Amino acid sequence: MISIGFDDRGKIGLQYVLESLHACSPFGIERVQKLRFYSPAERAALETELGNVERAKNAAGACAAQYEAIMAALCQLKDVRGSLKRLSAEETLDHVELFEIKGFLLRIADLIPLFAEMNETVRAEGIAFHDPEPALDVLDPERTRSRGFYIPDGATEALKRIRAEKKRLEQRLYEAETEPEKNEIRLLRTRVCADEEAEERTVRKAMCEKLRPFVSAMLSDADAAGRLDFLIQKALFAVRYGAVRPGITETALELIDMTNPELVDLLKGKGRAFVPVSIAADRGATVITGANMGGKSVAMKTVALNVLLMHAGFLVCAKQARIPMFSCVKMLFDDAQSMQSGLSGFGSEIVRFNEALEEAEKGYSLFLLDEFARGTNPDEGAVIVQAVTRYLNGVNAISILATHYDGVAAYAKTHYQIVGLRDVDPESIRAELASGTADGPAVIARHMDYGLYRVDGKADCPKDALHICRMLSMKPEILERIETAY
Amino acid sequence: MRGSLLRNWTEARTLSIVGMCKNAGKTTVLNRLLAENPPGRVLGLTSIGRDGESVDVVTGTEKPGIFVREGTLIATAKDMLALSDVTMEIVDATGIPTPLGEVVLVRARSAGSVQLAGPSIASQLRTVSGRFFSLGAEQTIIDGALGRKSLGARAVADGVILCTGASYDRRMEKVVRDTANVFRIMNLKKAETVPEGSDLPLSDALKANGEALVAGALTDSQVLPLLKSGALKNTRLVVKDPSKVLLSPDVLDKLAVRNVALETVEAAKTLFITVNPVSAYGWKFDPDAFLAAMAAAVDVPVINVKEGL
Repeated sequence: MISIGFDDRGKIGLQYVLESLHACSPFGIERVQKLRFYSPAERAALETELGNVERAKNAAGACAAQYEAIMAALCQLKDVRGSLKRLSAEETLDHVELFEIKGFLLRIADLIPLFAEMNETVRAEGIAFHDPEPALDVLDPERTRSRGFYIPDGATEALKRIRAEKKRLEQRLYEAETEPEKNEIRLLRTRVCADEEAEERTVRKAMCEKLRPFVSAMLSDADAAGRLDFLIQKALFAVRYGAVRPGITETALELIDMTNPELVDLLKGKGRAFVPVSIAADRGATVITGANMGGKSVAMKTVALNVLLMHAGFLVCAKQARIPMFSCVKMLFDDAQSMQSGLSGFGSEIVRFNEALEEAEKGYSLFLLDEFARGTNPDEGAVIVQAVTRYLNGVNAISILATHYDGVAAYAKTHYQIVGLRDVDPESIRAELASGTADGPAVIARHMDYGLYRVDGKADCPKDALHICRMLSMKPEILERIETAY
Repeated sequence: MRGSLLRNWTEARTLSIVGMCKNAGKTTVLNRLLAENPPGRVLGLTSIGRDGESVDVVTGTEKPGIFVREGTLIATAKDMLALSDVTMEIVDATGIPTPLGEVVLVRARSAGSVQLAGPSIASQLRTVSGRFFSLGAEQTIIDGALGRKSLGARAVADGVILCTGASYDRRMEKVVRDTANVFRIMNLKKAETVPEGSDLPLSDALKANGEALVAGALTDSQVLPLLKSGALKNTRLVVKDPSKVLLSPDVLDKLAVRNVALETVEAAKTLFITVNPVSAYGWKFDPDAFLAAMAAAVDVPVINVKEGL
């Protein structure tokens, strides 16, 4: 089963996606808050959901007004599941609870035609509501269908008689002149009020008995409302970020021009654009190498985000995507928490690695390692990551490792490198920097291409560090020596 | 006398009944208004927090219940419904939580007694009275707060009835003086323009603009140094609502003498004052002397709850 901690959700940008949704009903909000991932055994259900979301996304323009109306109706729904539970447990509900259940049924009644209209276009599968009229007839036998809840005089003969007597006494009370006379009437009235309360309780008990057979239908409608709510939010999300329906594969993973909404929005706010990343991987180890400028981590986190989005029934943020179903997704990111755990950073990293690997070996998994063994000395670190890479080639998982250690890529099934400064002319940037007062590292970061390219065969040394030294006008004597040493 | 004095209570669209102390006669006044209300004129009724116990929790004296006509709208906490004997129609649930359950709106489908426990926050009270009006009420009555808290009534109501009585203090002069002080603060002039808020100290803001909006409360210790320095002379001080004025009567007098205009953003009109000469704690004032002393201290009608109503 896929389970992702709150920290990891935050790091990969999943929390950002969830917070960008505006589920309207308590049932939809619950689905967002208690996000569930489909397991490989639920592939058919996931296909259904992805189909629903894709059609709902495609219809978002044509059905905009209907979505708005449905969302407004969903906002009115209250969570009556507590009362329904009491109802199943043979308890008798009070006036306010019966009012809430009536309100729930009335709002489901409002929702049904809106959903039917939307569904002519969207054809969402697996979402259906029950006719609320039979249950409403129990709560509103006179079929007023008013918002309020009132036990009508005619509910029983006894109640009719009692209420008539109560009215008569009230009239007498207004007309009474002396205090003893008033007190006598008040006493009579108190008794009638007690009779009324008892009779109303009998009526409520009978209503609850008649309502009990509808409990499972009402619970199922609450669930359907939650699904509909979530569906619309997923569709609107897909529209906002241009998400597409992924194809579900057996083992291969391929994401073309994928993006990460949190970074897209963050960079947009700074007047820059996120560079879409493409990657393909299959069972075994894939290694991403490149200069230490953050591009590797972003690529890994974006893979994790999009894989998890699909498993939660979302369309994915890419131009095109093919994703297998994983029974487990594990990620080890450079983590500040390890510093506080008492173990050294490296020691705790190994402990977390062991735990994650054990999980990942239980079924087809996605295993992400960001700068593994960064906390130890470079010579040993390289040897450790090489060994891990070779081992992961034999594990039933897609393992992706980002590393800046030497000699790791040679052991991987697939090797990607950050484009970095490969296509930039260092001399032109050096000239630009030398002439002005611009902040050198910031200018270089702007020219950095965070895209990935696939390296087939032996990789050239990237030389990005040398480029950076040159752009920032390091002494020529030193540069010369670096170049001869490559 | 009673007809003429009570005639204007329907003028305020939202009316708050506030008390100087317990046993001032708030509930008596409320019941009187409910009885006076013409049949068919729908009232919305709520309270600030919990009130209307049949026995006063603090003094143990028996309190009159609140008796409503058929058709009255009531906003009260869910747990209070079991203590009411009107035939109920649940009209709406407000989502406003209280320790006694969510505040629900009920239409009385018969006459009967009700127990009020409404919202305790001004903005929630405004929401509730808004719902009353949309459900057809012509007037909202709020069983309001006691003592200093009652000064907040102006934030939600446009009319106020101030109830005072012998239970407040054994000395009649003190009851009259403190009630007159609350009345005076409650009826501060409504500011026609509100000075812009500024971060400057009060004395600098006054020097620069000749007026200032007081953020938060206005206290004696703030005002006294300003009075001494002369910074306040011929200026205008505006506070958000009367509950923000924590000035002693003496300092209020001094402000008046120096021509300082003290005004409030929120404003309501005190329609009349009621007095209860009988204390729950065992002493009594002479009704006529009390009525006369109170009437001399304020410029609105004063009514004895025991006789005038």
